[in-house]
Amino acid sequence: MPNRKEKEITRIQELESINLAREEVRDLVVQTKKEVEKDNELLASQINQELRKNNIKSVDVVGAIGSGKTAILEKIVEILSSKYRILVICGDITTRVDADRIESHNAETIQINTGRECALNAYHIYQIIKNKDLKDYDLIFIENVGNLICPSDFILGTDKRITIVSITEGEWVIEKHPMLFKMSQIAVINKIDLAERLGTNVEKMIDDAKKINPNIEVITTSAKTGENITKLIEKLEL
Amino acid sequence: MKEKLEEIEEVVNEIEVDIIKLQNLFSNYLKQHLKGLIIENYIGEYPTFMEPVILGEKVKIGDDVLIGPYVYIGENSEIGNYAELSNTIIFDNVRVGDNIKLDNCIIAKDCKLNFSNSNIKNCILKGIANSEKEVLKIYF
Repeated sequence: MPNRKEKEITRIQELESINLAREEVRDLVVQTKKEVEKDNELLASQINQELRKNNIKSVDVVGAIGSGKTAILEKIVEILSSKYRILVICGDITTRVDADRIESHNAETIQINTGRECALNAYHIYQIIKNKDLKDYDLIFIENVGNLICPSDFILGTDKRITIVSITEGEWVIEKHPMLFKMSQIAVINKIDLAERLGTNVEKMIDDAKKINPNIEVITTSAKTGENITKLIEKLEL
Repeated sequence: MKEKLEEIEEVVNEIEVDIIKLQNLFSNYLKQHLKGLIIENYIGEYPTFMEPVILGEKVKIGDDVLIGPYVYIGENSEIGNYAELSNTIIFDNVRVGDNIKLDNCIIAKDCKLNFSNSNIKNCILKGIANSEKEVLKIYF
């Protein structure tokens, strides 16, 4: 028994020493975080200036995994590709699946595999546009990595941000992820064709988005049937 | 595509490098021939790739590495931790040390950059070097 107690004391002492080490680097961590955020914001504003100078409209599409970001972009690109020269930048942990799907609708695509990063950041986008002749494009869509948390830390310098959720994620999904809705101009609630079958309270989802951000436009869509996709395009104010 | 790379390698290996010829071949290869994301056979823990990126067989990639856009890496090459590569051709059996940033560079076959923490732009790199001073740089 005393042996066990001694072991426990040693364990606690070790833990305390780790905490002390954390205290020592706390200032450095805070400073680094501030600098990273500042860098991202500066780059984002540089990107926005560059895109505007070339008359390019830009949209960052964020949303949960499986909410229908790619499906909605496929529909949008299908409608707009005869009128505009479109570049779609797709962010994913790995694979080129999304880029291939969108490319089949006549838009140029660039895939970014972020590996272990959970969101695109302004540096990724800066590296891409720096190497492109921006005179070749009218519209740039960025499909961010699928999740409702990390992209809120990194603005990308686009004119608009759309946050997409779907009713299959449950009616609490907006209420539980307020940050992205606060910083978006449009909220899309997708897979509305399943509303009756699932019995999801869509009105609650719309109210939640409006409560979080009174200026946000909320649109219910179905990428499957095409419902309200043209309405969404109108809201992009191209 | 292979022929284009061979053509570039031939110019790089000349004693007196024809810079203008090389620049034309290099930018033509990057913008016209290097396309897509061919990254199936690398060894490493999920770096970030921004296409276009093409990796040869058995390329070893360290932690937190950023590769692309416009990067070709030849077989058996090794990229150190925290490296960042863009607009760059790396031929076979090359070693790039930790935290080296390369933009608009060509690294000759068998070149070893056995040093860390460097930012190198717009040049051909040759030789085996244990410090940045030792590496042979030919600027574009």
